[in-house]
Amino acid sequence: MSIDEPSLARLMAASQRGDRAAYRSLLADCRRWLERYYARRIAPHHVDDLVQETLVSMHRKLATWDSSRPFLPWLAAIARYRWIDMLRRQRDVAELGDNDAAVGAEDEAVHARLSIDRLLQFLPPGQAQAITLVKIEGASIAEASRICGQSESLVKVNIHRGLKKLALMIESE
Amino acid sequence: MTMKHASIEDLIDGLAGELEPVRPRRVLRGSIWAASGWAVGATALLWLLGMRSDIASMPPLSLLSFWLIASAGIAATWSAVRMGLPGVGRDYSGWRWAGLAALSLPLAAVLAGLGDSHAATEAIHRGEGLRCTIQGLVAGIGVGAALFAWLKGGAPTSPTRAGWVVGIAAGSAGATIVALHCPIDNLMHISLWHGLAVAGAAVAGRIILPPLLRW
Repeated sequence: MSIDEPSLARLMAASQRGDRAAYRSLLADCRRWLERYYARRIAPHHVDDLVQETLVSMHRKLATWDSSRPFLPWLAAIARYRWIDMLRRQRDVAELGDNDAAVGAEDEAVHARLSIDRLLQFLPPGQAQAITLVKIEGASIAEASRICGQSESLVKVNIHRGLKKLALMIESE
Repeated sequence: MTMKHASIEDLIDGLAGELEPVRPRRVLRGSIWAASGWAVGATALLWLLGMRSDIASMPPLSLLSFWLIASAGIAATWSAVRMGLPGVGRDYSGWRWAGLAALSLPLAAVLAGLGDSHAATEAIHRGEGLRCTIQGLVAGIGVGAALFAWLKGGAPTSPTRAGWVVGIAAGSAGATIVALHCPIDNLMHISLWHGLAVAGAAVAGRIILPPLLRW
């Protein structure tokens, strides 16, 4: 089954009216969409937690979708908010485990539109590289420091500053 | 991985099981909340302090200042209300343009002050000034509280920016209410003391609101 905008919007409208069956299929579709969305944005072992957090946020904020507007940009805004929130919470937990490289995911127009690469383009190269290596590809601070030639503390500072900027940008995207 | 997936299934079952119908939030409702907040602030201030006697025939300069501040306030309110309904690619920046237009007030005041420094000094030192600022800040609380409540129930994806915008909306609302009371038609006075209410509320919004708006 493909995840397309019109059927998601229909399911969401029914969910707002209290249709539990529609809501269950909507959540299942959103889960698949979110798994792909996060696959390229965060280390794999965090994807499930982030998907769950986003589904709960979506549930709490169900009333904030306006049926005269498309559904996916609404979901994407919530997904991105949760993503940034998780990156922020992680920023002091510097070391990630091994095998954290993010897995590939199917390309979709909407994913391309929201691509992390587009956001990272707006950051200074040092910050973008530190975030990509540590937060997305799952390298440790020490590894990132070796790869990009920045000192370990500079890698941390760059991650901190870059995430702060990303958080500010998420709404103007 | 299987366990994780099982727990997502459980979560989906749980969420679907507790679904109740919701009333979709519309921009119109948020706007009505904000308008009510303005009406409450205006009624309270004007009931306590009275309206200026020549309200129907305000001098053009005061009228112009009123509408410049009002347009910044309306644009900020509109942006704040829309920030409660998230969506990637939505544009919330309308308030910036109105804010820029309103900046012509302090600019004009500075230019006028350069030409007549005595009048400028007098306007700055007159005792009513700070009172206008405080009244503006208090009168704006209605709009500030309404927008805060709206955003608290909504889903603002940039709490910091939302804090600024709510502050600007509340301060501008307060400044328009004060303009209905304050009889001083001096550009310097309006720009400085009424403008200070907008700036003060914006800073307060930026400092106080973001932690409260996170979700």
